[in-house]
Amino acid sequence: MNVIETFGAKVGQLAQTDPEKARRLLLLGFRANGQKVRLFPGTRPRSGQMLFQQVNQSIIRCLARPEQNVMVSLFTPCEMLLNQGLNPYSCEAFSSYLSGSMAEAPFLRRAEEEGIPTSLCSYHKVFIGAAQSGLMPRPRFILSTSLACDANALTFRYLSQLYDVPHFSIDVPYEQTEQAVDYVAGQLRKMGAWIQVQTGVPVDEAKLVQTVARSQRTMDRYQQVLANRAGKQILGDLTDELLRTASLHFLLGSEESEAMVDQLCREVCSAPPAQGPQLLWLHTTPYWVPPLRTLFNRNPKVQIAASDMSYEGIVEADPNKPYDAMARRLVFSPFNGPVERRIQRALEVAKQVNADGAVWFCHWGCKHTLGGAQLAKKHFEAAGLPTLLLDGDSCDRGFGGEGQAATRMEAFLELLSAR
Amino acid sequence: MNPTCYVCKYTPTELLSAYGGEPLLLDQAPENFERSDQVAHPNLCGFGKSIIQAVLSGQVKELVLVNCCDSIRSVYDVLKESGQLDFLYMLDLLHHQDGCSVDHAKGQLLALAEAYGRYKGTAFDKAAFFAAFAGPDRPKGPYIAVLGAHMGQELFSMTQALMPLPAENGTCANNRNPAVPEDAGDFDALMEGYARSLLGQLPCMRMADTAARKTLYNDPSLAGVVYHTIKFCDYYGFEYAGLKDQLSVPLLKLESDGTRQSQEQLRTRLEAFAEGLQPPASAGEEKRAPSGRGYFAGIDSGSTTTDVVILDQDKQVLAKVILPTGAGATGGAARALDQALAQAGLKKSDLTATVTTGYGRSVIHGGDKSITEITCHAKGAHFLNPAVRTVVDIGGQDSKVIRLDENGGVANFVMNDKCAAGTGRFLEMMARTLELSLEEISTIGLSWKEDITISSMCTVFADSEVVSLVAQNKALPDIVHGLNRSVAARAAALFRRVKGGPVCMMTGGVARNAGVVSALEEALGLPLFIHEDSQLCGALGAALFALEM
Repeated sequence: MNVIETFGAKVGQLAQTDPEKARRLLLLGFRANGQKVRLFPGTRPRSGQMLFQQVNQSIIRCLARPEQNVMVSLFTPCEMLLNQGLNPYSCEAFSSYLSGSMAEAPFLRRAEEEGIPTSLCSYHKVFIGAAQSGLMPRPRFILSTSLACDANALTFRYLSQLYDVPHFSIDVPYEQTEQAVDYVAGQLRKMGAWIQVQTGVPVDEAKLVQTVARSQRTMDRYQQVLANRAGKQILGDLTDELLRTASLHFLLGSEESEAMVDQLCREVCSAPPAQGPQLLWLHTTPYWVPPLRTLFNRNPKVQIAASDMSYEGIVEADPNKPYDAMARRLVFSPFNGPVERRIQRALEVAKQVNADGAVWFCHWGCKHTLGGAQLAKKHFEAAGLPTLLLDGDSCDRGFGGEGQAATRMEAFLELLSAR
Repeated sequence: MNPTCYVCKYTPTELLSAYGGEPLLLDQAPENFERSDQVAHPNLCGFGKSIIQAVLSGQVKELVLVNCCDSIRSVYDVLKESGQLDFLYMLDLLHHQDGCSVDHAKGQLLALAEAYGRYKGTAFDKAAFFAAFAGPDRPKGPYIAVLGAHMGQELFSMTQALMPLPAENGTCANNRNPAVPEDAGDFDALMEGYARSLLGQLPCMRMADTAARKTLYNDPSLAGVVYHTIKFCDYYGFEYAGLKDQLSVPLLKLESDGTRQSQEQLRTRLEAFAEGLQPPASAGEEKRAPSGRGYFAGIDSGSTTTDVVILDQDKQVLAKVILPTGAGATGGAARALDQALAQAGLKKSDLTATVTTGYGRSVIHGGDKSITEITCHAKGAHFLNPAVRTVVDIGGQDSKVIRLDENGGVANFVMNDKCAAGTGRFLEMMARTLELSLEEISTIGLSWKEDITISSMCTVFADSEVVSLVAQNKALPDIVHGLNRSVAARAAALFRRVKGGPVCMMTGGVARNAGVVSALEEALGLPLFIHEDSQLCGALGAALFALEM
């Protein structure tokens, strides 16, 4: 057993008998890892270090100061929470950290033993198992959206009952219309009033305009990153894309997210030319699969140029109308509406970053992504973009099939290199 | 005229009727998903795949969907692309049921009315609209509620036939009960009222507020619940998770893949549940042979072995036989019974009653009654040790955990799904991969030194994981120990799902595998009671039932 495996096994074991102790051990591990990356950043670029520290700190806060925690679904606009000094954390981030610690298995097992469906997305299952075992601290309240999957509706309602904490959910209509934006903006206003009831602190409308403006600047700048990304070599790894997803969703609006994207923008402008295939990645990444991790780890021969989990929040909006701007991010997300929107947006970005190929990652249990897989492949390839449909699980090692995943990916890269 | 098919209870079927349509609930389970799997991912939910399969097979020409869930949205995407339908429409339904949602739903109804009227070339017929509202037809007196995810007509018919009480289909789309809206002056106002009545139905699990669903479980006439879930439909699994510890009436969880193929496997579970709903026979009702002597046989026809036990009227075991089932259950049972009769020195005509059990129970000739192996295992285990409260049975084809009451009746049970992982077959496959005999694999893992985790839950992937461990020169005892722990973890998960407790007895062929037994004892934190006749538990229970006939 290596260090992480031993650490994960210990966390899992302690969570069964003394969840408080397991949480302290986890906190110690995340703090130690933060120090390690600070002292020994290796080849990680500056923006990558900033990204890592930002998300790591948010998870540390989640474990260390649970009284400030607000559990959110990934797509929930969190600017109002950040303004009040609250700490939003998502199911995907928390579960990824447990999986990264090789501690996910007992929580998956726990959730399934309690009757939670085995086919539920593993991010959600780990999250629920961690809540059931007492490892995950009780949040003050829960916010969620119906975007981008059914699991949100189920998990957060379930956890609200489990923890006996209030829950507010935002319903996002399927169609991209101004009425839909108004409808969601109205719900966000109600959410602000609802948060005030929970915290006793009213929404500072002027500050909200500033924070939403920062969100807008961050995403606009990220759009510039994509616009300048074509033909450039930016060394990253599979974890970076997951961290960026956190930074550009529930941490969006923070100074750290803006600073990270600004730094990334500078790095892109001065980056050397790309040498190998540049990929467009759709959905989350199976970062725990060792051969894939090795393949993408700061490899000058292949990089992920863009991921739809990061760019999906780029929309035109007026931050002076903050509720409208936040609503627009939800309604016009490529994850909302028919899958052809997600496909068309991916094709636009593929062209923008000059992607050589696309990987549509069919994360076990993500019905939206699974459902659109074959259509995406058909349309991508019709547009001249070679596509790999890769089955796997971003969070659960029990899925197995590491060798098969690596073979598929390597064969796909060989195919791209031969073109 | 083609019917206009629908799949969701929130579909405005009365509106379709008002435009001359013939709404039809798409309710047939397909034989397989061959066509669906060509255009959609196989891990889409079985119900979603059955819709695609029906359309691509040419059975459906008009389809109105509701934005119910991720799977139905994907079905819409796939079918829109296929161009196989004359009319395809998807209504957007929000998750809340408040005023804004009613406005939104009204807008959706108006848009559908326009599109459907244009397609049909008809105008709105108000009389037909109101005539289309049908009152709920609910059973009177005690009944079994079939709840949860959509259940196809074939499986529901089987459930109806097997239950000792009337069964009511309250699954997904079947639980439709919109109130008749007020006959408002104009169409706009009528659609607003209609939107309110559609949203005011007993909510399905995709709605934000599901509190009203409690009325489904609090009905005093409710005698039991068959809770159906479909692979890759998550909504109802959550309701089941909350319900399983709260319901005061018997509950059976039934998971299907949405095809007709799994029905026979589900029959055993339904029969076992129905057996549990019957009042137990009292001891005084035991049948005695008129001559004062009687012999009673139990035949357990399993996938690997066929076991026979013959008892006399004083419950003394006169014969016990375990034979390989071979190619056919009928022949295997005949051979095993002949051998048992020879062992007991009896002729077939000496038998007063015979009960058959196991997967092959219904095809064995000459039995007086068939009882599921779940009920028989419980009976047999109670006979061997009345203190037993949980039976963990790991056989060749399936594994199950049964919780017993103090009389040996079945209080609850769960079985593994169709996957081979966690069964004797899994260990057989791994033994082949490791080039070990079944005897060797059952003991070699006891001398492990390094704790190896086999993380893959899928048998095929676990196999490649084992191959890779061999390539890494890991010691065979360590690999086998990892496999034993993997099987034990599966069984332990089932054990916890039924809230099993001591005394726990292990039965089935895998009870002879010392490595798995040890790993399971560790996983459960309990010693396992294993009787020398553990493998005969099902046949013994069947013979005891024969004696009580």
